[in-house]
This record gives sequence, C-alpha cells and structure tokens, in this order.
Amino acid sequence: MKTLTLGIVLGLGLMSGTAFAASAWTGGDDLPTSPLACDGTPAAATAKPYDGGEPTGAPDRMGKKITVVDIPKLIGIGYFNATSKGIADAAAELGNVDAKTDGPTKANIDEQITFIDNYITSGVDGILFAANDPVAIAPVLKKALSKGINVVGYDANSTPDARQWFVNQAEFNGIGKSLIDNMAKEIGEEGAFAIVTSTFTTPNQARWIAEMAAYAASCHPKMKWLETVEAQEDNNLSFNQATTLINKYGDELKGIFGMTSVATPASAEAVTQAGKCGTIAVVGLATPNAMKPYVEKDCVKSVVLWNPVDLGYAAMHVLRAVADGSLKAGATSVKAGKLGELQVINGSEILLGAPYTFTKDSIGDFDF
Amino acid sequence: MTAGLLKRHETILAGLTVLALIVLALLSDKFFTAENLLNQGRLMSEVGLVALAMTFIIVTGGIDLSVGSILGLTAILLGVFWQNAGMPLPLAMAAALACGTLAGLGNGLIVTRFRVPPLIATLATLALYRGLAEGISQARSVRGYPEWFFYFGQGELLGVPFQLWILGLATSVSAVILGMTPFGRATYAVGANETAARFSGIRANATKLWIYSAAGFLSALAAVVFVSRVTTTRSDMGTGLELDVITGVVLGGTSIFGGRGTIVGTALGLILIQALKNGLALSGVKGDGTIVVIGIVLIGAILAGAVFDKNRGG
Amino acid sequence: MTDAAIRRPIGRANWRRFLAGFGQEIVVLLAIAVLFVVVGAYNQRFLSDTNINSIFAGNAYIAIAAIGMSLVIISGHIDVSVGSLIGVIATIAGTLAVSGYPIWMAWSVPVVFAVAVNAGVGALIAYARIPSIVVTLGMLSILKGGLISATGGAWITDMPEGFMLAQMRPFGIPSAVYFMVALTGLAALFMRYTDFGRAVYAVGGNLEAARAAGLSPQRTVVGVFALHGLFAGIAGILFATQLQVIQSTVPPNLELTVITAAVIGGVSILGGTGTVIGSTLAAILFATIGSALIFLNVSAYWLRAVLGLLILATVLADMARRRRSR
Repeated sequence: MKTLTLGIVLGLGLMSGTAFAASAWTGGDDLPTSPLACDGTPAAATAKPYDGGEPTGAPDRMGKKITVVDIPKLIGIGYFNATSKGIADAAAELGNVDAKTDGPTKANIDEQITFIDNYITSGVDGILFAANDPVAIAPVLKKALSKGINVVGYDANSTPDARQWFVNQAEFNGIGKSLIDNMAKEIGEEGAFAIVTSTFTTPNQARWIAEMAAYAASCHPKMKWLETVEAQEDNNLSFNQATTLINKYGDELKGIFGMTSVATPASAEAVTQAGKCGTIAVVGLATPNAMKPYVEKDCVKSVVLWNPVDLGYAAMHVLRAVADGSLKAGATSVKAGKLGELQVINGSEILLGAPYTFTKDSIGDFDF
Repeated sequence: MTAGLLKRHETILAGLTVLALIVLALLSDKFFTAENLLNQGRLMSEVGLVALAMTFIIVTGGIDLSVGSILGLTAILLGVFWQNAGMPLPLAMAAALACGTLAGLGNGLIVTRFRVPPLIATLATLALYRGLAEGISQARSVRGYPEWFFYFGQGELLGVPFQLWILGLATSVSAVILGMTPFGRATYAVGANETAARFSGIRANATKLWIYSAAGFLSALAAVVFVSRVTTTRSDMGTGLELDVITGVVLGGTSIFGGRGTIVGTALGLILIQALKNGLALSGVKGDGTIVVIGIVLIGAILAGAVFDKNRGG
Repeated sequence: MTDAAIRRPIGRANWRRFLAGFGQEIVVLLAIAVLFVVVGAYNQRFLSDTNINSIFAGNAYIAIAAIGMSLVIISGHIDVSVGSLIGVIATIAGTLAVSGYPIWMAWSVPVVFAVAVNAGVGALIAYARIPSIVVTLGMLSILKGGLISATGGAWITDMPEGFMLAQMRPFGIPSAVYFMVALTGLAALFMRYTDFGRAVYAVGGNLEAARAAGLSPQRTVVGVFALHGLFAGIAGILFATQLQVIQSTVPPNLELTVITAAVIGGVSILGGTGTVIGSTLAAILFATIGSALIFLNVSAYWLRAVLGLLILATVLADMARRRRSR
C-alpha cells in the first residue's frame, strides 16, 4: 500500500514536472514562416512550376454529366455546411454536375480515408476534399488519381502530388496579418490576447497561428500572447475553455482569437455571459449566422475571414474545368463562375481572394 | 449441448452475412468484385487484428477500452524511435511492438494485481495512453519513411493485400489457441466461473495477463500496419477503435458475461459490419445512414440470438 | 424475507462500515478541497466567484447525467449511448423552440422522448435479455446517425430568449446549479428510502436473491433506465441552452466522461453499491481539474495524460480502501 502510494505520487510528480517544464504551447507548428510587410505591400510572387498530380487514364469528360463527391474534414459544423452549400450552388448553376457531400462525424483521418476509398470504388468522376492530415490522405488520393478520377482540394491541402489543384481561401501569412491587424485595431498595440483553437494536430490552424506569431513579432511587437487552449470542434468545450481563460487572466485579457468556426461564437458567448462585452474583443473565423447575435449587440465588431460559400463554389468550378480539360497544368488563372478570374499561385494553388470581413452592416445579407 | 447452442448463433450470423452480401451485391455492381473485396479486407485489418485479442478478453468476462489509445501511442512511438532516437526502422518497429505489449501488460496488472474491474481500468488507461501519445509526440507527425516500409500497409503478396495475410495468419492461430488448446479452455473456464476455475487449478491471473498483453501487442501490430498505410503518424490515430472492435466481437456471438464466444463468430461479425459499411456506401447511402443500419443490425442480431436461446443467463 | 436484509444497519458497531460506505465520496470531496486550496494559492482568480460559477454551472449537466448513469450502474448495467441521446435531446428542444412551439413544450417534450427511448432500451435489456452494452452500443449508432440524417448537420440558431434555461440566474446563481443540487438530493433520498431505490441496489447486488425476495428485476431495470432517461433529458435541455447555438453533432466523449464520473464517485461497476452524491461530487471534481490544469499552466500536450493518471490514482486508491475495510 505504501509502495503504491509512493509510486503514484512519484508518477504524478514526474508527469507534472514534465508538464510544467515543457515549453508553452502556442498552437503554431514549427514550419518556416513568411510574414508579410506591415503596411500591406504584397510579397513578390515567385512563379512556381505546376506541382500537382495528374490522373492516369481519365476519360474525356468535356461537357458530360459528372458525379462529384465532397468529403470535408467532418460534417455537422457551420463552416463545412457553408462550403457544401457553395458546392451545391455551383453544381446547380453548371447544370451538368451531380454533387453530394458526405464525410465523417468527427475530424478523424481514419474515417475520412475510408469514405474516400468507398467513393473511389463506387466510381465517382471527381472528388473534392478538405484534408484532416496532408500526408495521411495522400495515398488514398493518389489511388483516386490512378483510377482516372479528378481530384481538387479546398480549405485544407494535401501534399501537392496527391491532387490536381487546391483552392486556397487565402495565403497563410495573409490570414495571419488580417487577424492580428484587426485585433490590434480593437485592443491596441499593447494588448494581451489568448487563442482558442481546435486541436494541436490540425494543420491549417497550426500554420495560421505560426504566421500570426511571426507577423505580430515583426509588426506589433508589444502585443502579448497569453495562452492557447484547444477545444476540438466542440461548442460547449470551446465555451468552457474561453470562460476559464477569462476567469484566469481577469483584466489582463483584452482579446480572444477564435481559430475555428466553432471556437469564435463560443468565445463570443463566453465573453457575453461573463459580462465583458466591449471589454474583451473577439476576432476570428466564423460563419455569419452563428455570429449575428453578437455582432448585432456590438459585442463583436467584425468577423474576419473568407466566404466559405464562395470557397466551395470556386472549388466546384475548378473541378468542372479540370474535368472538361479547360484548366491545364501551367495555367495562370481560371474562371470560376460569378467570382471571375482567380489567380494561380504556388504552382498548383488557386487563390480565392482577399479575406472578407463581415460587419454589422453586412452580416444581415448572408444566411449560412 | 453447448456446442449446439454456439452453433446456433454462428449459424444465424453466417446466414445474415450471406444474406447481406447478396443484397448488397444486388444493390451495387461494384460491391462483389475481387478488387473491392480484397480492398475491404485491407481496410478491416487493423480492427480485425485487435478484435482477435478482444474476443479472448471478453470471453474471460473482461473488456479493454484502451486498445485505440494503445494503437495511437505505439504509432507515435514508432515514429519517435525511428526519427528522434535514430533507431534503424526494423528495430523501431520491434520496440514499438514491445511497448504496445507492455501497455497491454499494464492493463492486465491493474486488473489482476489491483483487482480493478476491467471496464474502469481500461477507461483510465484509455485516457492515460492517449495522453502519453499526445505528450510524447508534441503534436508533431513523423513522415518520410523508406519505401519498403509501405509494403506492410499498401503492398500485395500474390495479389492479396499484405496485411490480409497477417490477419489471416493471426486469425488461424487465435482460432486454434482458443478452440483447441488448454489455454483456450482455461480462458473459457475463467469467463464462465472464475472462482471455480481457480479451484480447479487454472491460473486465472496468468491467463488474463497473457490475454491483455496480447491485446496490446496486436494493437501495436495494427498501428504498424496503419502507419504504413497512411505514411505518417498522428497522436489521434485509433480514436474510436475500441467501439468498432467491441461491436464486431459482440455481434459475433461472444457473450459479454464471459464464457462463450468463438473466433469464427468474431470474424463473421467483422465481415458483416465491413460489408455493410462498404456495400451501403456503394449503393448511395451516406455515412449517417450506414451508422444507423449497423446499430439496428447489432441489436437485431443479438435479439435473434436471444430469441432462439431460451437458456441464456442474464 | 423483508427489507431488513437490504436496509443498511447503522448500529454503533457498524459505524466503520457506514463510513466506509461513504469513503469514496469523502475522498472525492477532499480532492476537490485540496485542489481549490492549492490552485487558489497559485492564482487567486481561481477562487473568484465567476470561476467557481463556471466550474459548477458549466458542467452541471454532466453531473445530472451522471446521476442517471449511477443508477444504471448500481443496477448492474451500463449505458454508452447517453452522449448521443443528449445530442438528440438538445436538437429536438432547439428545433421545437425555433419552430414557435411554447417554451414549456420545448423543455418537456424532449425529456419525455428521452424517458420513452430509454424505457424501450430497458425493456430490451430486461425482457429480451440482451446485454446492456450491446443494446446501448447499437443505440449509440442509431441515435448518432439518425441525428445527422435528420438535421443534415445544420446548426440551430436564433432561439427565443425565454428558452435559455441554463442561462437564467435566479438570485444570481445559474439555474443549472439549482438543478444539480436538487436532483442529487432528491435522487439520494429516493435511492435510500423508497422501495424502488432499494430494489435497484438489490437487483444490482445479487439478482437471484432479489428475485427470491419477491422483487421483479425486469420492472426494476425498465424503471431504472426510464429514470436514467429523465436525468439525461434534463441534462440535455441544460446542455442545449448553455449557448446560443446548438450543434447537431453529438458531443464527443460525453458518455466516457459521464461513466467515469459515476465510477470515480464510488459507484462500483460490479453493481450494488455507490451513491449519487458521489457521482455528482466526481463530476464537480472533473470540472475542477479541467479548470485547474489551465490555471496551473500545465502544458496542453500533457493534459490528457495527467487526467488519465488522476483517474487511475483515484481508482487504485478506491480499490485499496475497499480491501482494507473488508
């Protein structure tokens, strides 16, 4: 009994020791960052050769009806409901596309791979995806390519050779800049902020946070990062985590970043219920419907980010263009329906455009 | 008498499976092709390997909820041993397998030495092992394995996926052990009546230790196959695996109260579930519909078994 | 045979056994107290009333669900579908509220639904003799898939103000806390002093003896599950009204958390012992640990490992305590 207690105490002690000694987790990954200039001059675009994959033996699909499946990271959250709507809108507009969305109920790579595999077997013509893990999804996507299926990604990339094109909502460093600039506008150059993200293994969020850190270090050096907490994609957990942050830092906390479409409304709710509307700023990615109550009450000044419906819309148009053969390797731009010409960057990525900001005036115009 | 009862459930299950296969083949012409069936075999290998050990565990009246976490932990360790500790890859694989076995042994010790009920013990280790995976990996993935490593998860031997050979071998060995060796008989005895088993000289604790360690080993083996299949490691690999495994084992007729169950039943259960998941998807049913069908099939199959078996205790 | 055999003896010579019956609850209470003292010393804001409020109120629904789960486990069964059920309850409640039905309906219809569903589950277990883990495993899938099918993954927003039960604060204390305390107390009294309550313990402890004593195990099991549905339903309503948005997916890992809370609180998985007070305290302990780990700046990477170790330590301590008191 004594040995047992001793063992447990020692174990706890060791674990806690490591836990404390470990460097503070920012949520960012440790890939190289490339922060933009503070005044917004765009970085010089270096032309890269096309580095996407190619399907083998793809049949001629020009003008013919195609079946497309969209497999996002998970279904059941506002963000991917919106991209799904965009895809459906584009399919309806094109008229010769049969599109549906299917996917796992949690952001798990194991299940996503199985979904994609099943659809490959069922013989779809095109696959749209948002990857839970860029490397893990590559083998199954390459299998799709080898069966002549057109593969286009959006929102979360895979390794370039596993898909033909990737529709990027915005460059990682551009997003980092927008978020930090907006926060600096609301809380000032010396404000302290915290971050609520999904998990530390989600690649997109990790990249954004890393870019945010690099940009803040060079252009808003006096802003203070307090802490990052993970909240998966769960509403209640995000709310609880945000509330704990507010409780822990008290008056020191001036702003909260929500890095997912679940975290931002939950953080706004936490700020509202804590009675700190107007005292703590909330900036982040979210869909308009979830944020309307807070924007209308002036609790949240602006919801920054891109339009996910447009993202899905563009992805669908790109896939159609690829299937038709009108979008080839080496192209510098592509026409995406009502969005006009979209630029090709980084070899095989298509840029959606500048981040979109929903404010009190504009948020009422959207319904997703 | 017992053999007759056992045959009952497995027969019903076999009938159900055949029926399902026929219906699914009719619903989609892409289902019953050699290529698809072999591919499904590849995809169910990880769950299958773990389910073999889980059969033994549930036959003894226990359960192991931590198998998914052990898979995640050993996957991470594989990467860490290879990349951070610089071990040659075969050695790293062996070390990861050893760690998985140790983790399973840990479960067994908690259950036998400290007499913690398996449900609670493995509930705790589910969190602990997953936590270790997250802590050790520090959210980093390990990639860039040599080409030969991908053979385990993506390669083929004589046209059949490699991991399916492993699964087949493991299944045969398990079936022999459970059905025809003294160890297997001891397993059934412990599950049917542990006190009586001890009194007749069976070393119940040793049996359990072996079984839980085997679960750890097979989870680690599944991890190696999985990492080889997706070419990277993540700390969240294997989440939810335990529920899939338990569903397959229970569907196969293994009684949760212990004392009954066969490897053949487990195999049939897993095949049925995989066939449903795949066949329904191919005939246009989306993910959510498939989950509902599997739930209904699970309850229905056990209900059917219970209806035919009037002597079922409980 | 009367309930003399089932009622707990409280003679002088049995004080030790009486205390041992509450041992685990005291351990949990002590753990909570220690945490508050230690973390409060490290960061005073841990003891602020807003933080204490959020610890208790934010997780009250877990405690309430754990009450029902404790009853199920005491009766010798288990339910792994409670997380999915709560997700479904929340969605039904939100949909009713948004579609213009009166608030009282939006609150009560889902609860009735939960009771009905779980009574059905209980009937399958009791009369069809299907093991509880099997039925609830199947139910988990059916409810989860059904939820996504029905909602298409869409969130529910724009719910009327009067619907937000969990956000109401009579006398400044969140309503969830009232529910948690009241329901725990009521359940504890119910289990202790009613025939049904004692029947649950009996059925879980020794089925044959209970049957010989004239109890009907089947009706008891159905009743227990129905009761469990009641608590899960109430938990679901509170869960639904905490935020302005209801996700139509089931909260991940909720069933594991609820089961762990019940078990840590002293409910023995072998059935027949444990109290609901213990499970409520354990749910509070969990919430406290979750908050404490953030206040203590424990690296996020090691959070779950620490939690797992704590659960293990509590369980081992409990087993050691049981062996000693035998």
